[in-house]
Amino acid sequence: MEISTNDYRVWTEGSTIHYEGTMRLSGTDAYAPILEAMNSILASKPELITLDLTSLEFLNSSGINLLAKFTIEIRKQPEVGVRVLGSKSIPWQSKSLRNLQRLHPALELTIS
Amino acid sequence: MTTPATTSPNERQIGRFSLRSFRAKFMLVVGAAVLFDLALAGGIGIWNVQRLSRDATQQVGDGLTTATEEYLQTYIDTTAFRADLLIERVHSELATLATTMQTLIDHPEIQDAVGDTVAGSPEFSSPLAYDAKGGWAQNGAGVPSAVSVWGYLLDENRQPVPKAAEELKKSAFLSLVGPSMMATGAPKLQIYYVGPKDASIMRATPYSEQAQTFDLLYPGHNEGPNFWDFFFPGVYEGWQGWIDDPSSKPVDSNIVTTAPYVDAITGELIVSFFHPLWSGDRKELAGMVAVDITLEQLTSLVESLEISETGFGFLAMSDGNVVATNSIGEETLGLVSTDVSGQGVTGVNRNLKESSQGAIASLELNATHDTVIEHIFLDQGGEEVPYLLVLKQLNPTNLWDGAGITSETMTLGFVVSEREIYQSLIDATDNISAATARILNYQIIAFFFSIVVVFLAVYAISGRITKGLSRLADAARALQNKDYSVRVEIPTRDEVAAVGLAFNRMAEEISYHTENLENLVEERTRKLETANSEIVALNARLKSENSRLGAELDVARRIQEMVLPRRSELEVIPQIEIAAFMEPADEVGGDYYDVLFDGEHIKVGIGDVTGHGLESGVLMLMVQSVALALQEKGDRDPVAFLDVLNRAVYKNITRTRSDKHLTLAFVDYFEGKVTLSGQHEEVLIIRANGETERIDTIDLGFPVGLEEDISPFVATLVMPFGPEDILILHTDGITEAENEKGEMFGIDRLSESAHENRLKSAKGIAEAVITDVKSHIGGYKVFDDITLVVLKHR
Repeated sequence: MEISTNDYRVWTEGSTIHYEGTMRLSGTDAYAPILEAMNSILASKPELITLDLTSLEFLNSSGINLLAKFTIEIRKQPEVGVRVLGSKSIPWQSKSLRNLQRLHPALELTIS
Repeated sequence: MTTPATTSPNERQIGRFSLRSFRAKFMLVVGAAVLFDLALAGGIGIWNVQRLSRDATQQVGDGLTTATEEYLQTYIDTTAFRADLLIERVHSELATLATTMQTLIDHPEIQDAVGDTVAGSPEFSSPLAYDAKGGWAQNGAGVPSAVSVWGYLLDENRQPVPKAAEELKKSAFLSLVGPSMMATGAPKLQIYYVGPKDASIMRATPYSEQAQTFDLLYPGHNEGPNFWDFFFPGVYEGWQGWIDDPSSKPVDSNIVTTAPYVDAITGELIVSFFHPLWSGDRKELAGMVAVDITLEQLTSLVESLEISETGFGFLAMSDGNVVATNSIGEETLGLVSTDVSGQGVTGVNRNLKESSQGAIASLELNATHDTVIEHIFLDQGGEEVPYLLVLKQLNPTNLWDGAGITSETMTLGFVVSEREIYQSLIDATDNISAATARILNYQIIAFFFSIVVVFLAVYAISGRITKGLSRLADAARALQNKDYSVRVEIPTRDEVAAVGLAFNRMAEEISYHTENLENLVEERTRKLETANSEIVALNARLKSENSRLGAELDVARRIQEMVLPRRSELEVIPQIEIAAFMEPADEVGGDYYDVLFDGEHIKVGIGDVTGHGLESGVLMLMVQSVALALQEKGDRDPVAFLDVLNRAVYKNITRTRSDKHLTLAFVDYFEGKVTLSGQHEEVLIIRANGETERIDTIDLGFPVGLEEDISPFVATLVMPFGPEDILILHTDGITEAENEKGEMFGIDRLSESAHENRLKSAKGIAEAVITDVKSHIGGYKVFDDITLVVLKHR
């Protein structure tokens, strides 16, 4: 699966979801295709879902909301592990990603 | 719609016989090929014929030259032989006489007896009679020979001196044999005897009045000293020399010839042959016998030579004097006759060396005894005409040259115009040239005939070949003129036929489309109308949708404006000066701020709802309402305050099935202290002394509306906030404002901007920071609401 525009690219490799670029989509509806892709991976109940955000330069509040909602969904399925990869050099990540861990303490957060 | 068919210069109509037509090109190509072929074949043919003619001419010419030269050589050899024979004949007759006389001299007793006998016979001898007028004595006529005794041989009695008388007796024998010799053998003018120098009487046969003639022609001859020295000086001495040195003979013959001279009596060109007689002991000369002949035989032999039409012979002495040739020869050789007067006899000179023809004047006559053939050019009326010159020497003879005896070799020459010789060759060449020209003409005629035939054939064939193309072109033209009914019929089965077939199909299609154009247009119009009405309907729907969305936005904006605190509310707050700035983005975002003041406590809230639009606005209104209610209720615990607010919002979100949440933080001020709670952007505090503090609020809360219970995450941070201290709250619209390069304004710029303007009032600081943010954005897009709240302790 791959969703790609001039600004961003989201693609999956097995149970890893990669995010890249600047995501400034206008609302929940706009993020729906991405959420759908993420949910379809969750539906296959893998042992570990990895969200690789190391190349995602910007994510607006609707995007953060999307990640939060997805984390809550994972939380409902304890057998599915989740790992989030972030980058220290991107300001919004160090701030917002910790909220994901608070939502779901089992979430493994690596900000490198 | 019809428009007259116009032709641009580029697509001029190609006529059937235009040079640009396919047929013309086809014919040109084939014609050029045939032309080339014919020209090549013809050229080779003509070249060969010309070479053949050249070779033939060469061979015939060579053959003719060889034959002619051989003929001329044989002819001249024969002629020379004949000439030699003529002379030889005279020589032998003279030699016979001389030998007989010599025999008599060698036998004086017989000579005396014969002399006495002859003298005694009146039939053979007549008495001498003195001629007073001439001063000499001569016998009377009626006898075979005339004998003259010159005055210097007579004594005072006019009688011959004894020696002369003896000579008279000795020579009497001539009367005996002379007449018979004259009558036989080679034609002779006279035979004569001359005595030795001391008694040089002259006896000649036949009888003539010779002394009288001499008197007439050679006056003074009777004066002496002797006959020899007067008439033939040098001959006598020459012969005497031979006695002393036999090897001094120029030619091995006793006979000496004179050069041709004009005879004084007859006027003819004559030659004398002398034969010496010796004394019995061979130590002295005893006289001579001589013969005079005309050169008539020799010259007629030379002059009558027939060598082609204008060819001629000539006979020349070794000194170049021409003794015989005909008038053509004289003219052709460019000879000039001059009379030569010599002592005693008169000669004639037509010398080659004085010829007006350079080639003749420079001739070498004495080169070789062999036959010589030379090619020379003679001037004929200004034209250099080639001549063939053949030279052959006769046998050498002893010649008296007027002073002594030398060797003389006469040369016989033939001169023939090469043009005459080669006339047949020239004729042959002309014939060959004519034949060549004829062949050439036939070739040219055949060539043009072939061209005509080929062109006719090509024309006919090309007609068939290009018929299909012509028809196609015609049909295409018809099509151009909008005659869509046109079809082509091509009888052949080649590619042209295939094109014709395709053309017909296309024409049919065009015809169909053209004829059904109106139907098609109608159909299309109908389809377009349907589409149009659909578009109109869609447009109407879009419009209503837009107006709905627009209305929603308006409502959202209105709500946002409605719930914001009034400036008048802020101005009445003591201790703290509060300035707020909010500018919604094009699509209204969910920024929230509020200032709640119950007379004692000041609570300033700031938040950011995810998403935009009405729903975000409503959520904000909800948060504002709950916060206001809690503040009014006097709930002072920030943690409980946030917890309750979260529960209320969360439940409402769940009920309205909204998937939004918000970040939310509060600043409580009371009595020189501020309490921070809730998770939002960093809070900036600039102290009165200029120090800047950046407070991270991540650990002070959690997004509101995401979880039912956030109390475990909520915490408070209490900090002093004294006079001139500044506290700045903002939403991410400030820090994430991008310029054209994609650079965000960032917390650092915000901090610097605020710090630089810290001495201004809260409102001044807010305005300065917003100015900086806007100048950073420039003409670029504003993505999010921009919200800034500045608190400054009074």
